[in-house]
Amino acid sequence: MLELLQQGFGAVFSLNIMLLMAVGVAMGIVFGAVPGLSATMAVALCLPLTFTMGPQAGLSLLVALFIGATSGGLISAILLKIPGTPSSIATVFDGGPLMEQGHGVKALGVGIVFSFLGTIFSIVALMFIAPQLAKVALRFGPHEYFAIAVFSLTLIATLSAGSMLKGLFAGGLGIAVSTVGIAPVEAIRRFTFDFSELNGGFSMLAVMIGMFAVAEIIKLAETGRHAVQGKARSVSMKNIKGFGFSLKEFREQLPNAGRSGLIGLGIGILPGIGAGTSNLVSYIIAKKRAKDGHTYGKGNIGGVVASETANNAGIGGAMLPLMTLGIPGDTVTAIMLGGFLIHGIQPGPLLFISQGPLVYTIFAALIVATFMMLFMEFYGLRLFIKLLDVPKHILLPIILVLCVVGAFGLSSRLFDVWSILLFGLLGYGFVKAGLPAAPFIIGFILGPMAETNLRRGLMLSDGNFADFFTTPIAGSFLGLALAFIIWQVVSSLRTKKSMVSEILRT
Amino acid sequence: MNTTANKKELIIGLAMTGCSLAYLVMAYQLPNHQGVDAATLPLLLAGFLTLLGVLQVFGALASKPALGTERASDTQGELPASPAEAPPASVVEPKTVLLTLGLILGYIALLGPVGFPLMTVVYLYLQFLVLTPVQHKANHLVYLLIAVVCSAVIFLLFRQAFDLMLPAGLLNNFI
Repeated sequence: MLELLQQGFGAVFSLNIMLLMAVGVAMGIVFGAVPGLSATMAVALCLPLTFTMGPQAGLSLLVALFIGATSGGLISAILLKIPGTPSSIATVFDGGPLMEQGHGVKALGVGIVFSFLGTIFSIVALMFIAPQLAKVALRFGPHEYFAIAVFSLTLIATLSAGSMLKGLFAGGLGIAVSTVGIAPVEAIRRFTFDFSELNGGFSMLAVMIGMFAVAEIIKLAETGRHAVQGKARSVSMKNIKGFGFSLKEFREQLPNAGRSGLIGLGIGILPGIGAGTSNLVSYIIAKKRAKDGHTYGKGNIGGVVASETANNAGIGGAMLPLMTLGIPGDTVTAIMLGGFLIHGIQPGPLLFISQGPLVYTIFAALIVATFMMLFMEFYGLRLFIKLLDVPKHILLPIILVLCVVGAFGLSSRLFDVWSILLFGLLGYGFVKAGLPAAPFIIGFILGPMAETNLRRGLMLSDGNFADFFTTPIAGSFLGLALAFIIWQVVSSLRTKKSMVSEILRT
Repeated sequence: MNTTANKKELIIGLAMTGCSLAYLVMAYQLPNHQGVDAATLPLLLAGFLTLLGVLQVFGALASKPALGTERASDTQGELPASPAEAPPASVVEPKTVLLTLGLILGYIALLGPVGFPLMTVVYLYLQFLVLTPVQHKANHLVYLLIAVVCSAVIFLLFRQAFDLMLPAGLLNNFI
């Protein structure tokens, strides 16, 4: 493993890739920091840039964007009191008051350092867990893959939405859209309306650019002309030693950080839910466990630590199912899956055997990007604060043009550009109807996987459904999925619910 | 629950049911219906989606007191209220949305025949104007300048550096 990691670092430490990653981290931080732009959008928009790069350079860039954007949300959370991304909602609770009390630099320093620690922790966990999990996953057949796909879908559809019914519907609709195109096994054309462009189905990236970027632009057009854009206050960096907080404060926060890191990692691994949930959960738990819990929400650095450690620990967590099973852990990794496929790499357990050096290049890129994030975000803060002031009515149209370019670049046809408009409208409809977009995307990706493996499994076992339940691993996953739905229904019928499950569902 | 929220949920339910039924009809028209085949999953899925849509409609019709708001107030005790959670009442402008949609539609439709460089300048300039905040004055010269520079930079960057031949349209003979 060390040898492979060494090779990975060797690949990353070329001038070309280092420059790309520096740009990626900086762009990611901007996308994370500006409210309304997200990590998903950053990765989706930059994906077309990687088409002509090699897989190592391209994937390093995407990884850098992911890390920068996940962490960048804390800048606007603390300076504007508006979370830049859903993953830093809990940072506002204590970061905002700290800023008002004149401890802005301390809040930023704590946030950035613990973002860094959370990311590193999750990457180390990823590096140790992933190869073991891949070994187990190598023995998986169609029965197991079908069960895991169903389990993942159940989890995301029930957890991510405000209402379980709408979450399930969104997931189901995603699968329905994925059935467009030539069917697996007997290659019948389904729902193509005689458009030859639809034979391959809708492009995964066109769907995501539409749902996440175009829909966001239409949504902002609604209120944009009357929205008051907050002016970011600057902080004085004079007389600041290190990262603006003392070693004692750092030591005091370590247990909190460790716990939040584990929560972030765990929630990140679960398919479909990630940093957007884990920062709230770990904030609530940190508040309950802290001796000075009553000061949370009034400017306690513990709140910033809990939120930022947890959301960044989700990075390694989300990468884990993607790299070992080919199942994305959240929407950003869903786009990364597209990135892998475009470079001809199929994520899954075989990745560790056939593409060992590339896997460790990605690990190395994750680590290098994390260090870049630490220094760029703290010492380049003033630059990012300036960018927060770029007016939305200039920024959004330019992003739309980039969406169009990205969609066109997928296979040089205007059909994909029309698709992003279609899914942009659908995404806007989702926002209006209170339907969550994440289950839709995961359904769209896992639908074909579930169907293909169901058909294959049935062929293997001569049309016998029982094998899906009698195979130990497949059976347990299907059982878990069923148990989970029952648990959700029962707990939603009870009036009083536990705080954690409440937050998970909101 | 107040009636407008109920009505909204009802409309959502009807839309969900409508979509599911349309999908069900299309799934029925697929060839072959013997054993497990290419029509099986769409049919099962369509049935499941229709069920969910109907449940949503019934849920909206049964006008129980709003569970959602009660639950939300439960959580508030744990999470401190922040100004971000209570934004000032924002004005929703359907007109701006429609104009934006129209612009995007026109942009994509003319992208092929007129070409990326020209259409991008036109689109960006008009979209800047449409989205200009009410309290701002539109600065035509700056908008035009940003539009031209963005269009040129994106077009040339992708053409030269990333080998992506964006449609040049009318400018085909000049570039």
